[in-house]
Amino acid sequence: MAMIEMNQVSKWYGAFQVLKDCTTGVDKGEVVVVCGPSGSGKSTLIKCVNALEPFQQGSITVDGVSVGDPRTDLPRLRARVGMVFQHFELFPHMSVVDNLTLAQVKVLDRSREEAVQRALRYLERVGLKEHAPRYPGQLSGGQQQRVAIARALAMDPIAMLFDEPTSALDPEMINEVLDVMVELATEGMTMMVVTHEMGFAREVANRVIFMDRGEIVEDAPKDDFFGKPRSERAAQFLSKILRH
Amino acid sequence: MFAGFDWDVIWRSLPYLFREGMTFTLTLTALAMTLGVVFGTALAMMRLSAFKVLAAVAGAYVNLMRSVPLVLVIFWFYFLVPWIGGWLIGARQPIQVGAFMSSVVTFTLFEAAYYCEIMRAGIQSIPRGQVWAGYALGLNYRQTMAAIVLPQAFRNMLPVLLTQTIILFQDTSLVYVLSITDFLGAASKVAQRDGRLVEMYLFVAVVYFIISYLLSHQVRRLQTRLAVPGPA
Repeated sequence: MAMIEMNQVSKWYGAFQVLKDCTTGVDKGEVVVVCGPSGSGKSTLIKCVNALEPFQQGSITVDGVSVGDPRTDLPRLRARVGMVFQHFELFPHMSVVDNLTLAQVKVLDRSREEAVQRALRYLERVGLKEHAPRYPGQLSGGQQQRVAIARALAMDPIAMLFDEPTSALDPEMINEVLDVMVELATEGMTMMVVTHEMGFAREVANRVIFMDRGEIVEDAPKDDFFGKPRSERAAQFLSKILRH
Repeated sequence: MFAGFDWDVIWRSLPYLFREGMTFTLTLTALAMTLGVVFGTALAMMRLSAFKVLAAVAGAYVNLMRSVPLVLVIFWFYFLVPWIGGWLIGARQPIQVGAFMSSVVTFTLFEAAYYCEIMRAGIQSIPRGQVWAGYALGLNYRQTMAAIVLPQAFRNMLPVLLTQTIILFQDTSLVYVLSITDFLGAASKVAQRDGRLVEMYLFVAVVYFIISYLLSHQVRRLQTRLAVPGPA
């Protein structure tokens, strides 16, 4: 069953077309990795899924709800889709635990006690329970990103979007974040992940999408993608990032 | 050199100067600041709004207020507020507005234009990703502004906001033109009654200086205390 469905999605910034007829989907429990050179539109595509970026043509549905429909209650839809950003985007003026409880209380109407309980449970899951009272600025990049993942999970999302979650991290912190993501994937979370971490893709992805210049050039099961990328551009890209 | 001066006049009029004058000045400053920040924040959000009409109206208002001398605004509002008030409640006669109310309205509306520009810069200093993060969690525009953007913007802007308030504190002395007994007004009444202009105006200047100086000193201390916790 398709959790996220995109049909012929196109988007323009003025006259410049950033997305061209993108059609793909993510099934329930599936992990899809989106890769491609910078400026290829992959971050824009993933931001269209929860309407952080508007698109002009085509359609996207999440769990059957149309994202582009002006009648759609966007906050409600977004509350069900977790998102993790390249630069973490924790709220620096709030403690870690408050970062996790804010939306639970304001959007899901959970009581403060229940929200804190859940927050601590998810912080424990990412190994940061003892950091609950601290502030984001006092944590390392890897820790901040794990908090950001816990913040998204505390909302009980039906799917998770990751927008280059490790590309702002120092190399030694990448694995602690990837470990959390691998664990999520093996537990059956529906995930769409924009990343250059091909090791992660090989380990847990079901499908890999390769984008270039706003187009989905390749959309194939993992083994096919790494075995024999059909397009020259994808082959070139892979040879560049897998060289070392 | 100061032999011909009578410094005792200050001592004699001290209770009047502070109990009447300074009380008025501080009350006006506090009210105009509070209301001005609230209205100014609303204006800032209008200026940043996606609705072009709202943004244009707020922009025009701010530019108008910032292009007119404060003394003129004080005069105009003093004469206009009674008429506008009367028109608003549908009365045939202009309503009775005391000099105090009139000056509160004037300073609120005038300062709001300055607070607006400060808040606008503050809001724009918050990275776009923070708004995205709020939206992605399901918060709506109002909640995102109230819980995420404005608290951070206020923190960033607090020094400038308070500095503007110190300027406001000094500017309130312009209500003198409405013969209101603010601190300067009180001093000038005594000065003219007793013919002690130099003594009184010197004293007034010293008091304004001390208060403004101490306040700006406090602003710097507050700035370090309110900083968002970062790496130890």
